[in-house]
Amino acid sequence: MNTIPSRTAAPGTPTLRPTLHLDRLGSVIAGLIGLALFLSPFVTYRANRIVSGEGRLLVDALPPAGALGTIVVVLGVALCAVLARRPLIRLAAASMGLGVIFPAVGFSAGFVTPAGNTFARVSPAIGFWLLALAFALIAADALTRLRFGPWGRLVALGIAAGGLALLLLSGAWNDLSLMKEYANRAESFWREARQHLWLAFGSMAAACLVGLPLGLAGHRIPALRNAILQGLGVVQTIPSIALFGILIAPLGYLAANVPLAAALGIRGIGAAPAFIALFLYSLLPVVANTMAGLGQVPADVIEAARGMGLSRRQRLFQVELPLALPVILAGIRIVLVQNLGLATIAALIGGGGLGTFVFQGIGQSAIDLVLLGALPTVALSFAAAIILDAIIDLTQRGAHD
Amino acid sequence: MIEIEHLSKRYGDNIVVDDVSFTVGEGEIAVVVGTSGAGKSTLLRMINRLVTPNEGRVLIDGQDTATIPEDELRHRIGYVIQGYGLFPHRTVAENIATVPRLLGWDRRRIAARVEELLDLFQLDPGEFAQKFPHQLSGGQQQRVGVARALAAKPALLLMDEPFGSLDPVIRGKAQDDLLAIQRRLGTTIVLVTHDMNEAFHLGDRIAVMDGARLLQYATPADLLTHPAEPFVEQLVGTAERPFRLLSLVTVQDAMEPGHAEGEPIIVSATLRDALAQLIWHGRQDLPVADASGTLIGRISVDGILKRGRSLA
Ligand SMILES: Nc1ncnc2c1ncn2[C@@H]1O[C@H](COP(=O)(O)OP(=O)(O)O)[C@@H](O)[C@H]1O
Ligand SMILES: [Mg+2]
Repeated sequence: MNTIPSRTAAPGTPTLRPTLHLDRLGSVIAGLIGLALFLSPFVTYRANRIVSGEGRLLVDALPPAGALGTIVVVLGVALCAVLARRPLIRLAAASMGLGVIFPAVGFSAGFVTPAGNTFARVSPAIGFWLLALAFALIAADALTRLRFGPWGRLVALGIAAGGLALLLLSGAWNDLSLMKEYANRAESFWREARQHLWLAFGSMAAACLVGLPLGLAGHRIPALRNAILQGLGVVQTIPSIALFGILIAPLGYLAANVPLAAALGIRGIGAAPAFIALFLYSLLPVVANTMAGLGQVPADVIEAARGMGLSRRQRLFQVELPLALPVILAGIRIVLVQNLGLATIAALIGGGGLGTFVFQGIGQSAIDLVLLGALPTVALSFAAAIILDAIIDLTQRGAHD
Repeated sequence: MIEIEHLSKRYGDNIVVDDVSFTVGEGEIAVVVGTSGAGKSTLLRMINRLVTPNEGRVLIDGQDTATIPEDELRHRIGYVIQGYGLFPHRTVAENIATVPRLLGWDRRRIAARVEELLDLFQLDPGEFAQKFPHQLSGGQQQRVGVARALAAKPALLLMDEPFGSLDPVIRGKAQDDLLAIQRRLGTTIVLVTHDMNEAFHLGDRIAVMDGARLLQYATPADLLTHPAEPFVEQLVGTAERPFRLLSLVTVQDAMEPGHAEGEPIIVSATLRDALAQLIWHGRQDLPVADASGTLIGRISVDGILKRGRSLA
């Protein structure tokens, strides 16, 4: 298995000349890059939006000079992945690779599309995605090894977001099918994006508003604890579609019989049941983590606080909650990442959100429309996870260095 | 002065503290000693009302503590527990400032007090004020715990096994430091321990508890010479008794006039230390010096033995 020369020679077998260091993960990734570069299509060309397309290798997808330049850079990154040891160099190489193939796929779209043809569609193909995956893996591995602090990770996220914004705003991707789908429905894209965020963040906020006091009650009153956790555990096991179904009847009844509810836009289908379902799914992580966080506050700390004359309220806000905060935030992180994904399902019952494009796209067999809904969802979840992880680290004051 | 009058505590049918009464004078250290489960902690926690007594009352300077609101009472009484319970999310300075902040002291006064206490406990403010508890050694955490309890200048300090998690070497030094600080500030202390040596080292008076009852409350010498019950005698340890006695009396009390050869012993040393010196140097007698180094007499093995017998 161990065929790669390793840095440390076995005892008793002195190495006479320095062995070349080959990175094991890097070698696998380099193989992936080679496969992607020479054997997989870089873009897919289709005569129109829904017919199946034909793949183009990178050499055919760009003008000769551009193709050569891209291949040189990509091979350079692969070489770095195999040979370079310093994580910072590996990160720089991966970033450069991403910085080249993302604009390249945009230019490729313009190059492959016949002049004046407005029906033709060009999308990134498996080769592009494999390259992006390979570079992302190198970058993620390097970032892990660099052990950035919370601020470092936020800055890295900011740089990535800035690069993406630059790419999209510069128009470099405008010839890609994905951006054509966007251009055709820019207005509804932003409306659904707002709705998506509102569903995810709103239900999270509601879950915090209800879940924090519920968790506190469960912590203080042991008899309540199991009842609360079991009740919420049952909710968690209901599949989302089934939960929507369960909610249709009572909400429909409410809308029909309570004028105020109808006035607020509550109906059996639409945003209301989606919001309520997300809210219910969010409760368990918030409540359970609040209980766990409060439960792990050391007993002698509470005893000392009581002995010094901190009132119940002062103990809660100055000692118990600050010490439980990292665990509570970990629960909120779970909820936010989960909700940003789950909110996609809301579109199924007319609740809106980015899922609208996913399901429209599936209906029309238009994969780029699916991506228009799916990619921003993934990016949002990813960013939310990184931001909340950083906040959790920042709140762990005095816990470690 | 604190007066403990007929305190009792029951949990269900289980009597944990049974009709305990004693008085601690101003500026005295009373040590409550006994085996685990004797009810020591419960007794201590009834003084600051972390535990509500079923019967009896506690008077501080004549005032019944039941008439003072709980939190206000605790602001006036320092409290140190075995694990210290330092707030892990707060710096050393913030920890020490806890009660002054609750009392609404202004920031300058708090800062000055924190610095004063860090100095008193030999913790350099520049180095330690901004550290977090987990960055401190056990001995440093202990000092911060005591400093925090003393921050608002309480007249009474309650300590529940405050040296219990220190290793023996640091423990002795920490006990000496506490004694020095207590003598300087004049704070009244009630301290709980299961360590008899600690009780004799620190206590002006010792309360021996067993099975929820107070068996005897007396000075260390009385406890040795007139144990009230066999259990007290057993706890004190018959074999150790003569040495404990000698450690309660200073050279002053057994000094004889005259001269002796050798390294002088200071007059304030205990007879136990003097005997150790005599044995170590293989001498029958040694000169005695006062604090300024002037020779003022001699101390002899015979003199110490005579003195040790007459006490018993
Ligand atoms: N809150 C409580 N509920 C029931 N029993 C208790 C409680 N607190 C203490 N006890 C019991 O009271 C007895 C004395 O406890 P404690 O005062 O802590 O003893 P010590 O400090 O001398 O070891 C023990 O047997 C203990 O189990
Ligand atoms: Mg105890």
